[in-house]
Amino acid sequence: MEMRFVYGETLNELIEQNPNVMCLEADLSKASGTNPTVSKRHPSNFLNIGVAEANMIGIAAGLASEGKLPFCATFTCFATRRVYDQVTISVAYANMNVKIVGTSPGITAGPNGGTHMCFQDLAIMRAMPNMHVYSPCDALELRSVMRHMATTRQPTYMQLIRHKVAKIFDAEYAFDPTKAIVLRPGRDITLVSTGYMTQFALPVVDELARDGLSVELLHYPSVKPLDAGTLVASAQKTRGVVTVENQNILGGLGGAVCEVLSEQCPTCVIRLGVPNQFGEVASEQYLFDKHGFGPKHIADACRRMAANKQQKGV
Amino acid sequence: MKETFDRDKFDQMAAEWRYIMTDMMCRAGSGHLGGAFSLVEVVMTLYHRIMRVDPANPHWDERDRLVLSKGHAAPVLYVALAYQGFFPFAWLKTLNADGTRLPSHADARYVPGIDMTTGSLGQGLSCACGAAHAARLDGKKHRIFCIIGDGESNEGQNWEAAMFAGHHKLDNLVAITDYNKLQIDDFTDTLLSLEPLCDKWRAFGWEVFEMDGHDWDAIHNTLTAAMAVHGKPSMIIAHTIKAKGCCLVENKPESHNIKIPDQATYDKFLNSLKTKVPLPY
Repeated sequence: MEMRFVYGETLNELIEQNPNVMCLEADLSKASGTNPTVSKRHPSNFLNIGVAEANMIGIAAGLASEGKLPFCATFTCFATRRVYDQVTISVAYANMNVKIVGTSPGITAGPNGGTHMCFQDLAIMRAMPNMHVYSPCDALELRSVMRHMATTRQPTYMQLIRHKVAKIFDAEYAFDPTKAIVLRPGRDITLVSTGYMTQFALPVVDELARDGLSVELLHYPSVKPLDAGTLVASAQKTRGVVTVENQNILGGLGGAVCEVLSEQCPTCVIRLGVPNQFGEVASEQYLFDKHGFGPKHIADACRRMAANKQQKGV
Repeated sequence: MKETFDRDKFDQMAAEWRYIMTDMMCRAGSGHLGGAFSLVEVVMTLYHRIMRVDPANPHWDERDRLVLSKGHAAPVLYVALAYQGFFPFAWLKTLNADGTRLPSHADARYVPGIDMTTGSLGQGLSCACGAAHAARLDGKKHRIFCIIGDGESNEGQNWEAAMFAGHHKLDNLVAITDYNKLQIDDFTDTLLSLEPLCDKWRAFGWEVFEMDGHDWDAIHNTLTAAMAVHGKPSMIIAHTIKAKGCCLVENKPESHNIKIPDQATYDKFLNSLKTKVPLPY
């Protein structure tokens, strides 16, 4: 099932458990998968604000001040950078229990191109006090993250991949924002990923294992808070870290990893992602190749890091 | 809390509020005097004659809500809340002091009785719409009042909220524009004219009233009429005078944020007020 329909279905489930849960949209409800899934089944919990994202965030803050639990979805670029001050003041500073959902993160905005490709949302939302930042990688994790969001009083931003992605987790999975997941244990290199890129990192790690390179894959569904303990323990073991994200390499997951390691376990790090450039209308493969963060580049970076370690005798 | 109107008492109380606010801002070394003074009579009427609140229970579910979207006018709200008994008068002299619970802009996290944190202009009316929509969903009867500034009305988000409230016919929402005709840099007509302001709000589906924002009877009667409107939100354009009552800066752009660098300026501002009152702290 497409992830956006998982989002809509899970919202229905959450509304049925707690009638205060609300679904807010800004004229992109079909793209978010909530129309007709939520709009038909729970019309009084569904509020389409119109093409007015700033207003949507303010209305969400007002609803939250009265005990409602609004989930506000729109494209990632509008959910974060367009409304950065509204989210900062009316939600985070005021400490309102508002959930903001950025759909089509990074290069998954594909056909909408550079104007709609937001490569900085993890970075800018992470820099906001009081704000949690999550990026689930598959349908089961998305459901678990949303259940967590609905049961915690915490301003939160979540990336939502809209299309169908491969299953990574099983039904027993339970999201904990304080814990990274060791998807593959390893001893030579640490590979850190979040959200969409975990879809690509996992097969790469399995392929490298067949070639004799043991890569420990850490998946971070929560970029903030960031589980420093798991990262440091892995870096102490492998002494070489590669990060990959569907984002600008400035300030997002790679930035967060470097902040932790530089203070707690200085380690050589290669950051993969978009190297401080805007997006463009293009296929995923074209963008992976142009910016160097697709499966081939992840594998190359791991091999390069391993060779570098060997050369230095680490 | 509603009380019987006594003109002399309210006039005296208005003089007290202006004197106390001047002292608060002088102690702090600066303050947004103009836009707080222009709202004295409106805010006093709301808290003493119109709104249902309970100082012993600031989060009382049935209370009326007030969103002061022009959050820089917070001192008038702080004085109003102290007079109601939401917190001790002694807090007032800590405006903007290190570690204060009374920051320059209205902050619901620290101040009992404040319903919404504001300060970044243009956001409060959206928040008020959310609170009004929530009340309607839950079948609650309380009202949401929202005060916006005239300079603040430059912000486009107000007009997004205006469209939303009109479309959803939020008749539990009563908004007030503090139309003192001045913004930070200049007169509103010179900098970015709002006119025809009443027509704008009418065009967005609101019932629009105008009143003299310093006339006790006009304020009470207009608020009462706005609360009786069914089927649409109400906007009251309150014609006010920025820094009303402070002859040094009344109706002058520099009243927006006065600077008090020394004791002589402190004395000058306090002495400029007609009525001297003992400070309650």
